[in-house]
Amino acid sequence: MSEFDSLLQGMNLILTPGHIGLMVIGVLLGILVGVLPGLGAPNGVALLLPLTFTMSPVSAIILLSCMYWGALFGGSITSILFNIPGEPSSVATTFDGYPMAREGRAAEALTAAFSSALIGALAGVLLLTFLSTRIAAFAMTFSSPEFFAVYLLAFCTFIGMSKNPPLKTVVAMMIGFAMAAVGMDTVSGNLRLTFDQPVLMTGISFEVAVIGLFGIGEILCTVEEGLVFRGEHARITPMVILRTWAKLPRYWFTILRSTIVGCWMGVTPGGPTAASFMSYSIARRFSKNRDNFGKGELEGVIAPETADHAAGTSALLPMLTLGIPGSATAAVMLGGLMIWGLHPGPTLFVEQHDFVWGLIASMYLGNVVSLIVVLATVPLFASILRIPFSIIAPIIIMVCAIGAYSVHNSMFDVLLMLGFGALGYLFKKLGYPIAPLVLAAVLGDKAEDAFRQSMLFSDGQLGIFWSNPLVGSLTTAALLMLFWPLISSGIGALFGWRSRHASKPKTL
Amino acid sequence: MSQSSQSTSLVSTRGIELGLSVFTLAIGAVVMFGSLEQGIGWGDSGPEPGYFPFYIGLLLSLASLANGVLTLVRWKPLSVSFVSREQFKQVLSVFIPIALFVCAMPFTGIYIASAVFIAWFMWRDKVRAKPYGKWMIGSVSGGAVLASYLIFALWFKVPLDAGPMGDLIAMAGRSMR
Repeated sequence: MSEFDSLLQGMNLILTPGHIGLMVIGVLLGILVGVLPGLGAPNGVALLLPLTFTMSPVSAIILLSCMYWGALFGGSITSILFNIPGEPSSVATTFDGYPMAREGRAAEALTAAFSSALIGALAGVLLLTFLSTRIAAFAMTFSSPEFFAVYLLAFCTFIGMSKNPPLKTVVAMMIGFAMAAVGMDTVSGNLRLTFDQPVLMTGISFEVAVIGLFGIGEILCTVEEGLVFRGEHARITPMVILRTWAKLPRYWFTILRSTIVGCWMGVTPGGPTAASFMSYSIARRFSKNRDNFGKGELEGVIAPETADHAAGTSALLPMLTLGIPGSATAAVMLGGLMIWGLHPGPTLFVEQHDFVWGLIASMYLGNVVSLIVVLATVPLFASILRIPFSIIAPIIIMVCAIGAYSVHNSMFDVLLMLGFGALGYLFKKLGYPIAPLVLAAVLGDKAEDAFRQSMLFSDGQLGIFWSNPLVGSLTTAALLMLFWPLISSGIGALFGWRSRHASKPKTL
Repeated sequence: MSQSSQSTSLVSTRGIELGLSVFTLAIGAVVMFGSLEQGIGWGDSGPEPGYFPFYIGLLLSLASLANGVLTLVRWKPLSVSFVSREQFKQVLSVFIPIALFVCAMPFTGIYIASAVFIAWFMWRDKVRAKPYGKWMIGSVSGGAVLASYLIFALWFKVPLDAGPMGDLIAMAGRSMR
C-alpha cells in the first residue's frame, strides 16, 4: 500500500528528538491558550505564526498542529473543572463533565474525556491517511471554475448552516473578503483600496484580525460578564486512569457512533462545534441512562469529546486536499502554509510529499503525546486559572499586542488590532459570527483568482459554472446550501403545519 | 448575564444593531468607491482590478442595509438593554487602558509601555482584600517584559520596537563593551 509506505517515510522524518521536543512545546502552549480566557486555538496559532518563519515548514507545521491538539485538550480541562468552555466546541462537554467534577469525579471525567478524544482524533487521522491521496488525485482534474465552485460551496455552507442569522454571516464574510482585497492586486499589480495610505500597502493581515477579534474581543466580553472562576480540584492518579480505561470498552458503541458523526461533520464544513452537540444529543436519545444525562453521566462526556476531536482532525482533510479549511484554526494554519511559500491544494501532495506525510505522521504521534502531557499537567494548568484576572489579563493583552506587532513589525497593526478588538466585542454581543470573516480573509485572494480566471475562460459568462456536470453540481449544491434556511422553513411550512397545529394544545 | 443590573440600562440593543449596520454599510460604500477608482469593467486583459471587490462591497452594503431594515422591523423586541451602566464601566475600565497602552507604544517602545501597563493594572485592582505589594507588582511586570524580550528578541530573533529609551540603553550597552 502506497499510503503505508508514505506514512512510514513521514514517521522516519519526524522521529527526531528535535521534532518530538517541538511537539511537547506545541502541546504545552496549546493547552495554555486553551485554558486561558481570551486566548484560543485560532489566535494562539496566529500569535505563534511570526515565530515560525525561520523554521523549516515541517517543523513549523508540527509546532502549530500540536498547538491545535493541545488547545482542543485544554478546552476540556476548563469545561470540566470550571464549567467554562475554553473553546466553543467544548460547550457540550460542560453538560455532564462539570456535574461529575462537582460530585468529586473530576479525575474520572477528565481521563474519559482525554482518552475518548484521542480515539476520535486517531480515527480522524486514519481517514486523512487513506482518503487524502484519493481526494487530492481527484481534485487534480479541477481547473479554476471547479475551484471557485468548491470555495463557493464552503462559503455558502457557512451561511446556510450557521446558527447565526444568515445576513450577519454574509456581512462578516464580506468584511473578510474586503480585507483580503486591500493592498497589491496579485494579477495586475495595482494597489487596491489603499487610498494612497502607505500603511495599507502591505494589506491587512488576517493574523492581526484574528488576534484582535478573538483575543481583545474575548477579554472585553469576559470583563463585562464579571470574572468569577470557581473551579473544582482534580488529582489524576494512575489508579483513576486505569479504572476509567477499564470502563471505556463498555461505551464502544457510543464511541464508534460519535466518531462517525465527528468525521462526517469535520469533512463537510459542519465543524467540531456542531459535531459535539449532535453527538451529545444522539447519545442522550439512545442511552440506557437517559435520565442521568446532565447530572454527571460518563457517556455524556465521551460522546461530545470523541466527536469534537474526530471533527477537529478530519477538518484538515479538505484543508490539505482542496485548500479549504473546515474551522477558524484550520484557516489560520492555511494562511501559515501560504506564508511559508506552500500552495495548499491537490498539488501539495505531489510537490511537497515530505511535508504532507510528515504532518500526517505527526498527527498520530502528536495526539498520543498530547494525551500523556495533558494527563500529567492538569493540576498545573488548573492552577493557572486561579491566578487573579488583574495579573493574567494585562499579560494576555501584552502578548496580543506583541503578536500583532511582530507580523510586519508595524505599530499600525497594533492599532488595527485594537479596532478589531472593539469590533469583536460588538460582533460577539450581537450574534455576528467571526469564523467566516477569518475564512474569507485567508481565502479571499485565492477565491478571487479562481473567479477571475474562470471569467477569462468564459469571456465574462457566468454560465461557465454550469459548463460540465462536476462544476454544475458543485455550484448547484452551493446555491442549495445558501438558501437552505429558506428551503427548510418552506418544507417545514408545507409538512409541519399540521403537526405544529396539533401539538399546540399540549403546550398550552 | 447579570439580570440584577438591567434597571440602569445605558443603551438599547437596537441602537447598537443599527449603528453597527450603518458602520458596515459605510465599509461597503468605501470598498465600492475604491473599486470604482480601479475600474470595475472589462479591460484588455480581462476583468479590471476592481471587478471582484466591487461586488464584495455591493453585497456587504446590501446585507448591511437588510440588517438595518430588520432592526427597524423588530424595533420593539430589540429595545432590551445592550449593556448596563455598570457593565459598560467595567468594559471601559479595561478598554481605555488598552487604548492608551497601544497609543503610547510608538513613543515609549513596547517594553516600557508593557511594564507600565501591567503594573498599573495590578495596582488598580481594588477588588482584592489585600492590594498587591510593590515588590509583587515590580517583579510580575518586570518578569513579563523580560520574558517577552528573551522569547521574541533573543530566542526567535523577532526584534521588538524598544522605543527611544531602549535605543539609548542599547547604545550605552554597546559603548560599555
